[in-house]
Amino acid sequence: MLDRELAGQVLRTARARGGSFAELFVEERSSLTIRLDDGKIEELTSGLDRGAGVRVGHGTSFGYAFSNRLDPDALLEAASAAAAAVAEGAAGQVVDLRAQDPPVVHRAERPAEAVPAAQKVAWLREVDDVARAFSPHVRQVSASYGDSVQRVLIATSDGRWVEESRPRIRLGVQVVAGRDGVIQTGFHGPAGLAGVEFFDEHPPAATAEVAAKRAVTMLDAGPAPAGEMPVVLAPGMGGVLFHEACGHPLEADIVDKEASVYRGRIGEVLASSLVTGVDDATIPNAWGSFSFDDEGVPAQRTVLFLDGALQGLMYDRLRAEKDGVASTGNGRRQSYAHPPIPRMTNSHILNGPSKADDVLASTERGVYVTALGGGQTNPASGDFVFGVSEGYRIEGGKITSPVRGANLTGRAIEVMSAVDAVADDFDTWEGVCGKDGQGVPVGSGSPTLRIARITVGGTGG
Amino acid sequence: MADLTELAGVAVEAARDHESVEAYAEEARRTEVTAHKGEVEGLTFAESRGVGIRLIANGRLGYAYAADPSLEEVREALARARESAELATEDEFNALPPAEPIEPISALFRQDQAALVTERKVSVALDLEHLAVSADPRVTKVDQAGYGDAVSRVAIASTGGVNAEYGRTDCWAVVSALAEQDGETQAGWSFRVARELGELDWGSVANEAVERSARLLGAVKPASGRVPVVLDPFAGSSFLGVLAGALSAESVQKQRSLFADLLGEAVGSPLLTLVDDGRTLDGPAAATFDDEGVPTGRTELIAHGTLMAFLHNTYTARRGATDSTANAKRGGYRTPPGVGTTNFFVLPGTTPVSDILRQAEGGVLIQDVSGVHSGANPISGEFSVGATGLRIQGGEVGEPLREMTVASTVPEMLKGIAAVGDDLRFFTAVGVPTILFAEMTVAGV
Repeated sequence: MLDRELAGQVLRTARARGGSFAELFVEERSSLTIRLDDGKIEELTSGLDRGAGVRVGHGTSFGYAFSNRLDPDALLEAASAAAAAVAEGAAGQVVDLRAQDPPVVHRAERPAEAVPAAQKVAWLREVDDVARAFSPHVRQVSASYGDSVQRVLIATSDGRWVEESRPRIRLGVQVVAGRDGVIQTGFHGPAGLAGVEFFDEHPPAATAEVAAKRAVTMLDAGPAPAGEMPVVLAPGMGGVLFHEACGHPLEADIVDKEASVYRGRIGEVLASSLVTGVDDATIPNAWGSFSFDDEGVPAQRTVLFLDGALQGLMYDRLRAEKDGVASTGNGRRQSYAHPPIPRMTNSHILNGPSKADDVLASTERGVYVTALGGGQTNPASGDFVFGVSEGYRIEGGKITSPVRGANLTGRAIEVMSAVDAVADDFDTWEGVCGKDGQGVPVGSGSPTLRIARITVGGTGG
Repeated sequence: MADLTELAGVAVEAARDHESVEAYAEEARRTEVTAHKGEVEGLTFAESRGVGIRLIANGRLGYAYAADPSLEEVREALARARESAELATEDEFNALPPAEPIEPISALFRQDQAALVTERKVSVALDLEHLAVSADPRVTKVDQAGYGDAVSRVAIASTGGVNAEYGRTDCWAVVSALAEQDGETQAGWSFRVARELGELDWGSVANEAVERSARLLGAVKPASGRVPVVLDPFAGSSFLGVLAGALSAESVQKQRSLFADLLGEAVGSPLLTLVDDGRTLDGPAAATFDDEGVPTGRTELIAHGTLMAFLHNTYTARRGATDSTANAKRGGYRTPPGVGTTNFFVLPGTTPVSDILRQAEGGVLIQDVSGVHSGANPISGEFSVGATGLRIQGGEVGEPLREMTVASTVPEMLKGIAAVGDDLRFFTAVGVPTILFAEMTVAGV
């Protein structure tokens, strides 16, 4: 995308007034999205994005400038603009740029860009057919197919030269079911850092069925119970909760701003001893993985909780430098138009000793959650809330009737300490996490787990 | 470098006889400054431009975009849109809007704002943080304090004869303050937007954030029950997004709206009038034309509780045999137009907030809700969201409350409006006054 000589010149311009480091991030992204709705292929959108961002760091402050022009003039202009954020000082050094070896490569076996668009349209048609055939109560199906290849080049003043190609693929299906004036929706959207071989494991028809079943099942839902009670989270869902309630407050920028409930508490036991949680960007072909983060730091696995004890934070370069530690490879950005910040990759709670059946059988009364609609957390207090998009009552150790309108609220430390059973049936859930106006692909994962007491908000008794 | 009208024009010229082609070109220059502990935390400059091309041939729609394209790359994008259109389903309602006379709104662009120097922006960000940490001894730090602005320009050209452009300036200030006491931390935020710095009241952004964080200190969980609920404008604005989705003709036509069959019927309290107005300068989302070049206007969606209209773009209007309400909306040049709101607001009533608090004796003032996007179902209208707020006692706000959930349905909520305040406040594009609901389920312990 750019030769090393020009990259070096850009970095030297960026360091004209000093600062602790300079970095150039160049990106080209080609993408195809296809939307099916109301039985029609509504549109196919083909996109070509490119641009570059130049950052100059100075303590935990930074100057950032970006442009979607890649010519030398535009790049040097951006470098000067970013340099202007740093107080006047002596020019900084730029070390010779050397290519880095990736710790793991996520390759598309069968690249999506080589597959004709007509085949992708056919997958969406199949999704529509399967979802509608699932039940006469299915009223509407919308689905989107997306693939993209993001090619990045990162060069830094301390000599890093990183090139990576990230192929991403996702199929999301939303189904609306209706009966007797009741309307419910169901969504499922597995995604990977892979080519179309991803669909060998996640066939479009299976995705359509999960979404349709979710919507149709919820037609029979009654009001959710309200109050404090045990909640069993189905595989994957504990990971979503872990991401929101524990992950965000463990991002080093949140901690640095003294807005984290976990600040200064490393080494303390702040979760049940059954909880071991990691953030892992090295999982092959996982949605939140990469070879290098967006600052050119190799992907790694970071243990956050070990048997309930807090182990560490997720760092980008700025925050790591400030704390005098190494970056954990969590510096990520949505695109060249955004400066990197500490972000999760794939955040997982690992398998425990129990069997899912036993966990349910030993729960007298509570709620079983099979889909969370996402959530929000206040990292300062640890308060969080999650909507339950698919859930059931547990009565006498058995899953009984579906419930609607439920949500879960609580505080991170209390809730994670209340985990009293962790099973061995790990699964994942993929999403796009938003923070400071930037969306990045993230994976979550967990086995079945039970929280002994948590507040369920609902309208029923 | 080609200008926007030139880029848009070259796509239209390359259209074939049976094709309708529209090019949407935009460019923007943005600056954002955040402050932390008395220093500049981040300074971001951005320049971007791009072109999105919509092509309709035989009722089939294809779309392609390119970032900062040359004239040749615009022609290539058109060719990709043409290929894409061949695979799309034919839909007789796919069409571009005809050209209409457009009245410019010169107040959207402020020369002084476009020329504002970076040093001034930095000083505003630093001042914001300074004000936030100086107002109350319990607030000594911020989670976020920042100033941002954008100077942007949009041009649209089409084979239907549309050939329009306009420029705008926007600026904003945001503070999220952290209040602390006895090991407890509470966050409170505020946000304001204006067309130029001279009209941006950033001092009150800092003060509001401080007040809203500090007053939550010592919060307790409430008991569960059905009580009067007051939504202040901050909390109310979160719910308007759910209504916007349900009032979009796209949702209605796809049977994804709880309002689908209710046109002309009473859907809310007679106190409720809900408006979309793309021309009123009172709201920050005013624009000369919508995202497919249709001149903006005013639509009463709900008038005194009766559902009067839906939000339409050209496609949904053709499909519904009506006129576009100029509500075509896109997420920039990368996406074709869908349906969205402009300035979308609840018309203010005449009741002062102090009267509303007196009427809500024993109830709860909600100041912030979380999880509306996940906790509210825009189709069934059911929701259960997390909330923070204050107990109402003796006509005033009192004890702070945390970890509550508020559950109801949108239809019940709209019908349960018992008073509408006179304090309309806009947040980006949605505006809402303080609203009293006769009774809602609040769950705590």
